Amino acid sequence: MSKPTRWGIFWRTVMGRAYPRVIGMQRERSWLFFDTLLPLLQVSAFVFIYRAIQAPPEFTGFVVLGGAMTAYWLNVLWSMASQLYWEKETGNLELYIMAPTSLMAILLGMAIGGIVATTVRALAVITLGLLIFRIEVSIVSVPQLLGVFLLTLVALYGLGMLFSSLFLLWGRQAWHLSNLFQEPVYLVSGFYFPVRALGFVAALGASVIPITLGLDAMRQLLFPTMMAQFRFLDVGIELGVLAVLSIGFLWLARRALTYMENLSRREGRLTIRGQ
Amino acid sequence: MTRQRAVESARSLKMAAWLGWQIESNWASPFLFAIYSIVKPIAGALILVLMYTVIAQGGLQHPLFPQIFVGNAFYIYVAMVLMGVSQAVHEDREHYGMLKYVYVAPLNIYAYLLGRGVTQAIMATVAVLIMLIFGIIVLGIPMPPATIDWGMLFAAWLFGLAGLAFQGIFLGGISLITARHSFYIGDAVAGALYLLCGAVFPIDVLPRPLQLLGQALPLTYWLEALRRALLGDGAGQLLSSLSDRALLLILAGSMVLLAVLSIGFYRWAENRAREKGLIDMQTMY
Amino acid sequence: MSTELAVKTEQLSRVYKVEKRGARAGEREIIALDRVDLAIPTGELFGLLGPNGAGKTTLIKILTTLLASTGGRAWVAGVDVAQNPWEVRRHINMVSGGESSGYGLLTVEENLWMFSQFYGMDGRTARTRIGELLEIVGLADRAKTKIFHLSTGMRQKMNFVRGFLTSPEILFLDEPTLGLDVQTSHKLRGFIKDWVGKRAEKTVLLTTHYMHEADELCHRVAIVHNGRILACDTPGNLKKSLQREVVFRLRVTAITNPEELFQHLQGVQRFSHEDVNGHTELNFILEDENALPPILTLIQHCHGELVSLEKRDPTLEDVFISLVGRGLGERAGGVGATEGEPG
Repeated sequence: MSKPTRWGIFWRTVMGRAYPRVIGMQRERSWLFFDTLLPLLQVSAFVFIYRAIQAPPEFTGFVVLGGAMTAYWLNVLWSMASQLYWEKETGNLELYIMAPTSLMAILLGMAIGGIVATTVRALAVITLGLLIFRIEVSIVSVPQLLGVFLLTLVALYGLGMLFSSLFLLWGRQAWHLSNLFQEPVYLVSGFYFPVRALGFVAALGASVIPITLGLDAMRQLLFPTMMAQFRFLDVGIELGVLAVLSIGFLWLARRALTYMENLSRREGRLTIRGQ
Repeated sequence: MTRQRAVESARSLKMAAWLGWQIESNWASPFLFAIYSIVKPIAGALILVLMYTVIAQGGLQHPLFPQIFVGNAFYIYVAMVLMGVSQAVHEDREHYGMLKYVYVAPLNIYAYLLGRGVTQAIMATVAVLIMLIFGIIVLGIPMPPATIDWGMLFAAWLFGLAGLAFQGIFLGGISLITARHSFYIGDAVAGALYLLCGAVFPIDVLPRPLQLLGQALPLTYWLEALRRALLGDGAGQLLSSLSDRALLLILAGSMVLLAVLSIGFYRWAENRAREKGLIDMQTMY
Repeated sequence: MSTELAVKTEQLSRVYKVEKRGARAGEREIIALDRVDLAIPTGELFGLLGPNGAGKTTLIKILTTLLASTGGRAWVAGVDVAQNPWEVRRHINMVSGGESSGYGLLTVEENLWMFSQFYGMDGRTARTRIGELLEIVGLADRAKTKIFHLSTGMRQKMNFVRGFLTSPEILFLDEPTLGLDVQTSHKLRGFIKDWVGKRAEKTVLLTTHYMHEADELCHRVAIVHNGRILACDTPGNLKKSLQREVVFRLRVTAITNPEELFQHLQGVQRFSHEDVNGHTELNFILEDENALPPILTLIQHCHGELVSLEKRDPTLEDVFISLVGRGLGERAGGVGATEGEPG
């Protein structure tokens, strides 16, 4: 049997690591309730806030879309960012590092598995939201919409990979950092309102989080009339920025992983539990 | 035997509260912890502020805004206490591998779970206070101390908090018999209750079937009682016919009912977990 | 065995700096490995023998690229572990005792398949090999069982399979039978011996603190203590080095302060003691048999009773005692860190 190539190992690792995430979803059926119906109820709360203050019906659509995207943000924060730390605690991390594969492949596998599992949840929330609240959409361009969505995910999970390394470095504090980022990002990324309400400068700063521009662009492509007065940047510009963020975060993630691995090997942190 | 049980319970509660504090306060940087304590609640409030600013006529002067702000502030207890208690099961089993030792030791598991929630309750109290101060000073919400019904505030706060703790035990039971998703249980349920209990809008706005569900939740009466104590008035019309005394009686009664139901359910979940060998299960995927 | 080296180290060292807290704040150094020189040829089953905290696991971690050294160099399969860790990993695998790796919701087969993918094995080959190895270790009937249902012993068998699955050129076994029952340990040792015996190109580096395991399995053994290699030779040669001396094991009713009594007796080269079931077990390495009667007299003088007396051939434990001055099971005063890592 010939020796596998580096790329061969890379892609097999991605598939191998994605497998537990995908199969776990099937084996623990409680996600049908907890990961779809309950978040939909949370989204509905924001819908009713807008109804209580007599907002235009498009705002219901904004909220449903934002609610669906929270699934990805939470997945990145809790199932990507802190995952390597827990892999260390359980002893898997040292086996990953010792294998002739790269941690990027491991993280990519985790990301792909996470995206698959989360997309099911997000789709359920959107579908049910559209049906229950009878939201009308006018899709400007399906390819653009898909492009924005995919680029947003690439950039977002690139950010998640970067967080993985950083959180491994920061150890137990990672949990609190995940908590710290959760709500403020709901605010600054405009999950439940158009991000332009923050003002141009704040919205620009918030654009470093891929979901900010992703949501704004998707809203423009789904609710073009209402978003004409609430949009932040042109879809084309937002696509461009997302592309840059994707490349940037993936590159940074790779650098951070290498740095983290070398530092951990020097300080002996890779195999010490409870730090 | 009763005395021994009481001693056991007290020991379990004390030890679990200490442990909960060790886990939660395990920050390398107290400065970051301070930031986290302030930023988290304020961010939640600002979402509402921006929603009102963008859409509502009158912005923050909208008559509903103070009610909504207070409801949103106290809702912090719901997420943190529910999560604090229910996640203790998940954390101890999945992450620390300790749950089996908790069960093997002569501890009162209910006292242990409640103890683990004590730190969350303290942290929630700090967050709520920060929110209220922010609301009064920055957003101009009228809440002069002379007009606050302190007696009603304290009673409602106490009954509601106890009720939340027992609901946390109920969710802990669900955690015991599920795998990965048990991590999200507290968060997800708190989010769902957000819709039904009138935290951020009057339940009058809900469709009738959901209004009925909302009226069946102790949380709805809790938030109504707190609003009346702090602002002199509740939100919406549906609960306006209830007197303050009636509200407090409902809260006290629901607290007792929740205690019975939650402990009963947790016992059932425990037996099921023992049958299926779930007490020391670790999934880690 | 070939003359090519599977593992080589030159003056390999690892020092940890640990922060001291309280009144004596500052840093202290823990020397986990102290200028270790090793040369393990391909095809050898090499043992590292020593107590907890000796530095065995630290050495393994450096050789498996998990830990960087602070001094010296190391090569595995001819590749420098610091310069090219990725290349090293293509040639190795590791099994640790007491491992809890894998994902509880996946079955044995699925976990093993997942790990095989990290080494680039194609699916069919992986599945075939998994089946064969599970059969050998007696876990075939549990292939479809989720691992959170496995006992400790079964889990360790699965870990074993994970280590051998990729057929590595160099396999590191770090206390692989730790916590296993006698039967399982015996079976796994037989498997290790067989695996190396039939494959001249494979090398195994085994760490253990079980003397009989090292004696039974290893072509050569290095005795490690406080981060240093005190001796390195075949088990036979190590034991022969003691054959000038005489080794006795005595069991007496409990006596206090045996160090004070026996340490400085004439003819006593080395001595160790252990409490066993309320008795004191005394192991003596004597210059010759004439040194024995004074020992017996002293025991009588202290109102001790001789329960048993045995003249033995030297074992690796005796070799260890002769080098270190105490048995593997005894604690050295004040040393507490495990395997040289900061506590």
